[in-house]
Amino acid sequence: MSGIELTDIRKSYPGGPEVLHGVSLDMRAGEFIVIVGPSGCGKSTLLRLIAGLEKCDQGDIRIGGKRVNDVAPQDRDIAMIFQNYALYPHMNVRQNIAFGLELRGVAKAERNARAEEVARTLKLEPYLDRKPGALSGGQRQRVAMGRAMARNSSIFLMDEPLSNLDNALRVAMRSEIKELHRQLGATVVYVTHDQSEALSLADRIAVLKDGDLLQFDTPGAIYDRPANRFVAGFLGMLPTNFLPIEALPFWPGKTGLTVGMRPEHMKVHTSSPQAAAIPARVVFSEMTGANLVLHCESDVGRLIVTAPRQDMAGGEETVWIGYDTDQAIYFDAQSESRVDMA
Amino acid sequence: MKPDSRLLAGLALIVGLLFLSPVLYSVFMSFQTVDGYYTGNFEFTLENYELAIGQYNFARYLLNSIVVSGSVTVIALTVSTMAAFAFARFRFPGGNLLFAAVVATLMIPSHISLIPNYLTLARVGLLDTYAGLILPAISNGFAAFFLRQYIRGIPVALDEAAYMDGATPLKVLWRVIVPIARPAIFSMGLFIFITEWNNYIWPLVAVGDEDLYTLQIGLARLYRVNPSEDVVNWPLVMAASTITILPVLLGFIFVERHLVRGITMGAVK
Ligand SMILES: Nc1ncnc2c1ncn2[C@@H]1O[C@H](COP(=O)(O)OP(=O)(O)O)[C@@H](O)[C@H]1O
Ligand SMILES: [Mg+2]
Repeated sequence: MSGIELTDIRKSYPGGPEVLHGVSLDMRAGEFIVIVGPSGCGKSTLLRLIAGLEKCDQGDIRIGGKRVNDVAPQDRDIAMIFQNYALYPHMNVRQNIAFGLELRGVAKAERNARAEEVARTLKLEPYLDRKPGALSGGQRQRVAMGRAMARNSSIFLMDEPLSNLDNALRVAMRSEIKELHRQLGATVVYVTHDQSEALSLADRIAVLKDGDLLQFDTPGAIYDRPANRFVAGFLGMLPTNFLPIEALPFWPGKTGLTVGMRPEHMKVHTSSPQAAAIPARVVFSEMTGANLVLHCESDVGRLIVTAPRQDMAGGEETVWIGYDTDQAIYFDAQSESRVDMA
Repeated sequence: MKPDSRLLAGLALIVGLLFLSPVLYSVFMSFQTVDGYYTGNFEFTLENYELAIGQYNFARYLLNSIVVSGSVTVIALTVSTMAAFAFARFRFPGGNLLFAAVVATLMIPSHISLIPNYLTLARVGLLDTYAGLILPAISNGFAAFFLRQYIRGIPVALDEAAYMDGATPLKVLWRVIVPIARPAIFSMGLFIFITEWNNYIWPLVAVGDEDLYTLQIGLARLYRVNPSEDVVNWPLVMAASTITILPVLLGFIFVERHLVRGITMGAVK
């Protein structure tokens, strides 16, 4: 079991601008860490630095307490799952899974037994003799997982491993990955641009933007107390409504703040309520199952809210939007950092 | 078969026979007596082969050609595959310059290096040896260039996956790159082998010892074996030609199977 410790990592590619501007992360052994951020923010670069596939310009990378900046990738004993799987096209599934063991000199009978054991866990047994070219996307993904699992590494790196799968498969694999992590007990560093994957998988989430680490905390803490407006907007199923506090009826007299209101904390009334509320006109609504997502136009701006479907059965066009102010997240209007209000 | 494709097949057969006809004719001629050839009466005989092998040492030449072309092919492929891998995958100081130099060698006509090569080998005492026949051909700029381009087409992620699996660079080359690049390597090998097999000038210059003659040298000398004044023993020359062509043809049939297998393997990814 090894933790990974990154200290003030800086990285630029030859002839390009700096893509990581001093990232520090302390990942404990056995943790499931998700690195999330918009595409191009440097997630893959960070992962490749841990793997040893890239060299950093500055900073220290420690694995299990040992500085590994100058250790070649093949000597770091890390398993990695690539976005496009990178399966060896000329080897069958068994050989793909067993290759890492073969390179470590494990005898043929033993490594084949291990490959078959892994294949059983991943329900790949029927395909052991097939080449990757004859497998579906989901099966290839499993082979990539199997290849990483075969060696019992203490660290797994995964770069958007599910991004090439269809939605149903993605959600199914998500829980399998979580289950695998529980069984293996290894440290997992998982890169994704998908906030829902991050929230559902992570023990702790690192939010990255333009090469800067914005926040590193548990999913709950990041959801409830985002470090700034970007983090609040990036994580969460529906877009958070950001409005200047002056425009809202809930905090008379307050100024200088932006309020982040998550749709799930807003209450939709079909008639004018007693408490303060924002009158709004429904522009269109999206069905998501039990709930509707309403896109509304109001005097304070566009608002996205959700409401139970049966409340809106009459096809209401005018609604009043109330809000539970305890749930509000406040940001400084200038710096966009979160502000705690007693 | 549709009439269309039958027509095409027929056409292909005719064109194929057209290409093959000189070869077939020379094989036919090689089983003829000289007198028969010059008088126009066909008479089957094996004496041309007996003569070529018994009196004119063609078994030895064949062996020399196989040793030389085979060694050149294996060594040149090894050297250029490794160079190609280095050029395709690694950044190192002077790498670009070095690669430019390799490409630049493609622009030098081979005959220009004839004399320098001769003088170099003379100085190190390798004239009249197998090594002298083999060494100048093992650095093959074209093969290095061609294979580099091919390797660049193989996703780097495969190398990286192998490194993560614990492979050293040489293991990556041998276990990942070479199997995937096999069609290209086999094609290149075939090309090198045939070029070397047909090489005439260098063996002519580098070897004086008759025991080291290659088939091409031996063949050229047969033109001077005259049954009478100003008459070439064509059936003998054709028997020797057949000995010269046959191994290449057989080799091609053998390698071609690998080529096709390699190519379809690449197609299914
Ligand atoms: N090999 C490379 N050479 C030059 N620039 C690169 C290379 N790889 C990534 N970059 C740049 O670095 C930045 C971060 O890339 P990456 O780490 O792949 O982002 P992410 O995985 O978050 O989408 C991007 O601007 C990208 O263009
Ligand atoms: Mg990426």
